[in-house]
Amino acid sequence: MTDAAQPDIVYRPRGRLPGTRLGAHRGRDAGGLGTFRDQVPFLRMPDARRIDVRATLRDPFEGTFVRRFEARTLVEVWALFDLTASMRFSGEADRIGLASELCVALAASATRIGDAFGLIGCDETVREEAFLPASRARGRASDVARRLAATPCTGRRADGMVQAARRLVGPPKMVFLISDFRWPEALITRVFSSLSRHDLVPVVLGDAAEAEGLPEWGLLELDDLEGAGRRVVFMRPALRRRWIARETERAETLRRIATAHGRPPFRLAGRFDPDAVSRHLLGS
Amino acid sequence: MNDALARFCVDHPGLLWLLPLALLPLLVSAQRSTPVAAIAAGPADGLSRAIGRVVRAGGILSFAGLILALSGPYRQGETIIRTGIGAQVSILIDRSGSMNETFAGRQPSGAEESKAAASRRLLAAFVGSRAHDQFAVTAFSTAPMLVVPMTDRHDAVRAAIAAIDRPGLDYTNIARGLAMGLSQFGPASPATSRALLLVSDGAAVIDPRAQDALRAAFTRLRPNLYWLFLRTKGSPSISDRPAGEDTPQAAPERHLDLFFRSLRIPYRAFEAEGAEAVAEAIAQIERLERDPIPYTEQRPRRDLTGLAYGLSLIGLLILVAAKLGEADLRRVRAASGPTAKPRASAPEPTRLAA
Repeated sequence: MTDAAQPDIVYRPRGRLPGTRLGAHRGRDAGGLGTFRDQVPFLRMPDARRIDVRATLRDPFEGTFVRRFEARTLVEVWALFDLTASMRFSGEADRIGLASELCVALAASATRIGDAFGLIGCDETVREEAFLPASRARGRASDVARRLAATPCTGRRADGMVQAARRLVGPPKMVFLISDFRWPEALITRVFSSLSRHDLVPVVLGDAAEAEGLPEWGLLELDDLEGAGRRVVFMRPALRRRWIARETERAETLRRIATAHGRPPFRLAGRFDPDAVSRHLLGS
Repeated sequence: MNDALARFCVDHPGLLWLLPLALLPLLVSAQRSTPVAAIAAGPADGLSRAIGRVVRAGGILSFAGLILALSGPYRQGETIIRTGIGAQVSILIDRSGSMNETFAGRQPSGAEESKAAASRRLLAAFVGSRAHDQFAVTAFSTAPMLVVPMTDRHDAVRAAIAAIDRPGLDYTNIARGLAMGLSQFGPASPATSRALLLVSDGAAVIDPRAQDALRAAFTRLRPNLYWLFLRTKGSPSISDRPAGEDTPQAAPERHLDLFFRSLRIPYRAFEAEGAEAVAEAIAQIERLERDPIPYTEQRPRRDLTGLAYGLSLIGLLILVAAKLGEADLRRVRAASGPTAKPRASAPEPTRLAA
């Protein structure tokens, strides 16, 4: 379980969810309990226990009306976790630590309100040791923490994300796609379109050290974590500007693709703040 | 180039087996590597690429330079044969006692200069006026003295000539002097123009056996012969027939001249009765001797260790500059850390209801 002082992440799935099990979110079906939704003619829902006397009397055509209430349902929350080597990046903050923190907080928040939480870790394929099926068990958050701590990030590509999408069958789920999205644009589009059935929340792990925090002057020898080689870069203000412009452009591309398939991405950088995640999820 | 490589030698060739170590900078970098999520994030940059290559080359250079320097490289000395304009001049100088006298036949006093001093002054100007002339200096009195062998080191020749006004002694044994003066030419290509410059103020009898040997040597070497006869005022000229019996003993100058004429080689005699006449004669010789001459140039062995150390120093300086110019993302993180915090603790969430 997470620290009690840490607030839960509050999320609200998009639209009304199908499902009959009682949960915390607005369901598509009308049920007997919950918040009032509308009144329908008796013949549409012949439930004599919920006849709305007042509406029935008020109807000049003497129809009989029944009150309908919104059912509360559950949603499965899944985290698709990028396990490629680029997640080992440590700049302003430790990227993998930040992502794990978010994942654990999500697991804790989901299980607290009765939703199931599942975890899929992917690199080239789905990593089975980092796979946790959706469960409402109370100890899920600590399971997640344990699994993520035990799984090294060694992958070089993130193609497993497409396979992971095939595991998410059944009713629409809430899917958090946690990655730094250092992928080819084609892969991003493929992954997003394969997951667009779900309520997809991309979480981009950024770092100030990768853009705004770059030094004005100096010699850097870049070493790609994913094994794409080494390169000497002579930083100077002009190059720094170009670099930042490129990063901004990349973020903009991602935002465009993500918005087309659902929600805009949430940028997680520097420090994990559950309230900021909540604000992002409720605001969009 | 190939030739220059062939003359390249080292003292400890075994150390050169270490040279492949110079390729290490291609594999490993001395720079602190900065792990990044994606190397493609940085825009392509020509200057950076060039600097990267320079740093790598600097590493290779420092390794290679140090290994080379340790192995003790040097360039072998050599003798290069070149062709210039000039001649081999064998100067044969009379050092008999009479050379100490002036042209007037007295001991020099005051501003007067002796024949030796005058010839010294004028010959010194002759030597070195053309870069590729080669000179040998031989002195003779009773016995010949080898002063400087055939050389193009004009400083040495000038020093030898500077010494000829030391007081001379004894008599004039011209036959042995001529033999040694001729032996100075040594082996050289037939195209070489050779000149034997005899500076004397008198002559002596050459005995017939010596005459044959000299004649053979002259025929073999075929030098241009110049006789600078420093004639003392009042003494007989080369062409003067003696009043009495015309024997070599009576008029050695005349008979020496006749002997030279009989050699069938280019021969000129200058009779100088003063310093100006000597200068004129020398200028004339200088004008005559203008032929291509192959000359040898000695190149000493040259130690290249300093050069190798210099090369490695350049490489090391590049590496040090690269090291000093290193930027560190972590330092940047530490600097920007405190400013990042307040930004993250943003205002209270406005809506919390789900």
